[in-house]
Amino acid sequence: MGNTPTKLYPEGPTYNDTEFVNDADILNHKNYKNRSKNVSLANTLLNPNSNSMVGENYTNNTRQKQYSIFNKIDRDKDRKKYVKDREKLKEIHARGLVVKYDECCDGGFLAPFGCYNFDKLDYNIDIVRSLIIERKLAPFYTPLQDFDETWSREEIIKIVDGLPLHATFEENLEEFEDVPIGDLKKPNFDYLVDRSLSKREQRRQHAMIFKARLYRKRLIWQETANESFLEDKVDAKKNKIKNRYLPSDDLKYSLYKNGMECPICFLHIPGPLNYSKCCQQPICTECFVQIKRSEPHFPHEEVDPTKPITDDNSKDPNLLISEPSNCPYCATPNFSITYTPPTNRRTGIGGIPPSDYCEVAQNEIQKQEISGQEKENKETLGSPTSISASASPLSSSSSSSSGNKHKDIIISNIITSDDIRPDWEAKLKKERSRLAKRAANATAIHVSNQLVDPEYSLRQNSNTSSPAKYSVRGTNSKTKRKQLSLEELEEQMIKQAIQLSLEDQEKSKKK
Amino acid sequence: MASLPKRIIKETERLVSDPVPGITATPHEDNLRYFQVTIEGPAGSPYENGIFDLELYLPDEYPMEAPKVRFLTKIYHPNIDRLGRICLDILKTNWSPALQIRTVLLSIQALLASPNPNDPLANDVAEDWIKNEQGAKNKAREWTELYAHKKN
Repeated sequence: MGNTPTKLYPEGPTYNDTEFVNDADILNHKNYKNRSKNVSLANTLLNPNSNSMVGENYTNNTRQKQYSIFNKIDRDKDRKKYVKDREKLKEIHARGLVVKYDECCDGGFLAPFGCYNFDKLDYNIDIVRSLIIERKLAPFYTPLQDFDETWSREEIIKIVDGLPLHATFEENLEEFEDVPIGDLKKPNFDYLVDRSLSKREQRRQHAMIFKARLYRKRLIWQETANESFLEDKVDAKKNKIKNRYLPSDDLKYSLYKNGMECPICFLHIPGPLNYSKCCQQPICTECFVQIKRSEPHFPHEEVDPTKPITDDNSKDPNLLISEPSNCPYCATPNFSITYTPPTNRRTGIGGIPPSDYCEVAQNEIQKQEISGQEKENKETLGSPTSISASASPLSSSSSSSSGNKHKDIIISNIITSDDIRPDWEAKLKKERSRLAKRAANATAIHVSNQLVDPEYSLRQNSNTSSPAKYSVRGTNSKTKRKQLSLEELEEQMIKQAIQLSLEDQEKSKKK
Repeated sequence: MASLPKRIIKETERLVSDPVPGITATPHEDNLRYFQVTIEGPAGSPYENGIFDLELYLPDEYPMEAPKVRFLTKIYHPNIDRLGRICLDILKTNWSPALQIRTVLLSIQALLASPNPNDPLANDVAEDWIKNEQGAKNKAREWTELYAHKKN
């Protein structure tokens, strides 16, 4: 509050009738954004446990203070736990993005090469991995920057041999230049946060340190995977020991000789690629996982320039929308792709060891496929435990309904952008409720301000009115004020509190 | 700075080897994501015979995010504001990663040929355009004469 009221009720609250026309006026007050810091009473109102506060004790200033302190400790604890859980999930996600050479399908991998920023790799890893294993989606391949049709077999093999598993990491990002990361082996890094900062700044610093640490960890994880790939390659060459996960020369050649340029990243990718269902255009998996719904937003309308534009802040949160992505090529809504796995190779998980692949044997493989002996194939190459664990994530996906949906899709062989990001609906709901809550908080603040400081609404309005008008009001306000009963305000607040807690309950039920 | 994605390198090469008539785009020496652009006003439009300077920047997320394009030459157009910002769907919500620098610039050229005052960025210009189209077009022609380079 601009001026903290010294007395809660100076001879009962009084209001100026000209300022205080009706409830809607208070509810739609536009200045609430600037006052969002002042939420203590609003929180007591919003918290269902504080019902008694609203009824009896709100005039008791000290009790109210104690109560809000307890509330605050609880909130801090909850927030900490929430942050920790989220960080854990992020780390698991990042681990799933490490390319490992022994997790391969038909010459490609289960994690992306790294053409796009880590922040944008927010697709559901388990779903994508299992789609690749089931040959419903092309694997992630190591791309070639260029390809020349005149290259000989030897040249191609030599180039492929020199390919890394992952795009190079920038060792020292500018973003994290002065961020301490401490001991990466210790999970707790609270000691790195500067305690002299404000709570808010501490949280920001915490988030930054987490980001920097995760970046460093990803770099180390990928480097470890790279090193074992390199060492095993050298080993296999030196000692002539066949490593069954390493691709044969035939496989390397056949992969890249039959590649094509993805029209989005312009990189040379082994075929076959995924194809858009609507217009049959190719798209590599690395680009496909980038395509997603728009962030929640208000619908864009063509407006009449002669009329005033409605402000986004005054729009109904339920109007927020998020459309499914369109096909990047022909703009057909609900972008979806199909994938036909290669008929001349089935290596890695669910196939023969990549080292055993030879072009002559392709006919045999085709025959094998026809006789449909996937089980035997799996025995041929025991999949690493991590894969078999994630091979059936569809059944373990959070909600059973979305799980069923995915099964349907897998049967039909059409993969939509929403399939690999099933959380879009939750995100939209979250954003809607965030906006609704913000509006509710603002309302509560205004009601509380009227209650504790009768001159609040007067001051608020005077900010926007002309100085001349203000002076008139300032001198006459006392005589003009009309009493608004305390009971009426109480009633108003209780109504608000009940409504909000009902809404909250409904929301948690839905979840 | 992170290395330049292959896509940007290839697009730049192809802009040079196969240029678009009436449009030029040259990358800046120090920053290969920043392009100096010129667009010829389309024949039959109030911008005819004018050559307009623009700047184009490819953000880090390109091609998943649209390039940022802005007119540097002053222009009287309902979808282009005083700062040169352009209101064009493909630069915002309808961006697609299959579009390229080339297609974006062609779309901007097309926008000069057919302004859309019902989705304005410069409200005053749009109002003028709706209420008095001929007058607005005359003004656009005057501004082209005043501010754009002359086509030889």
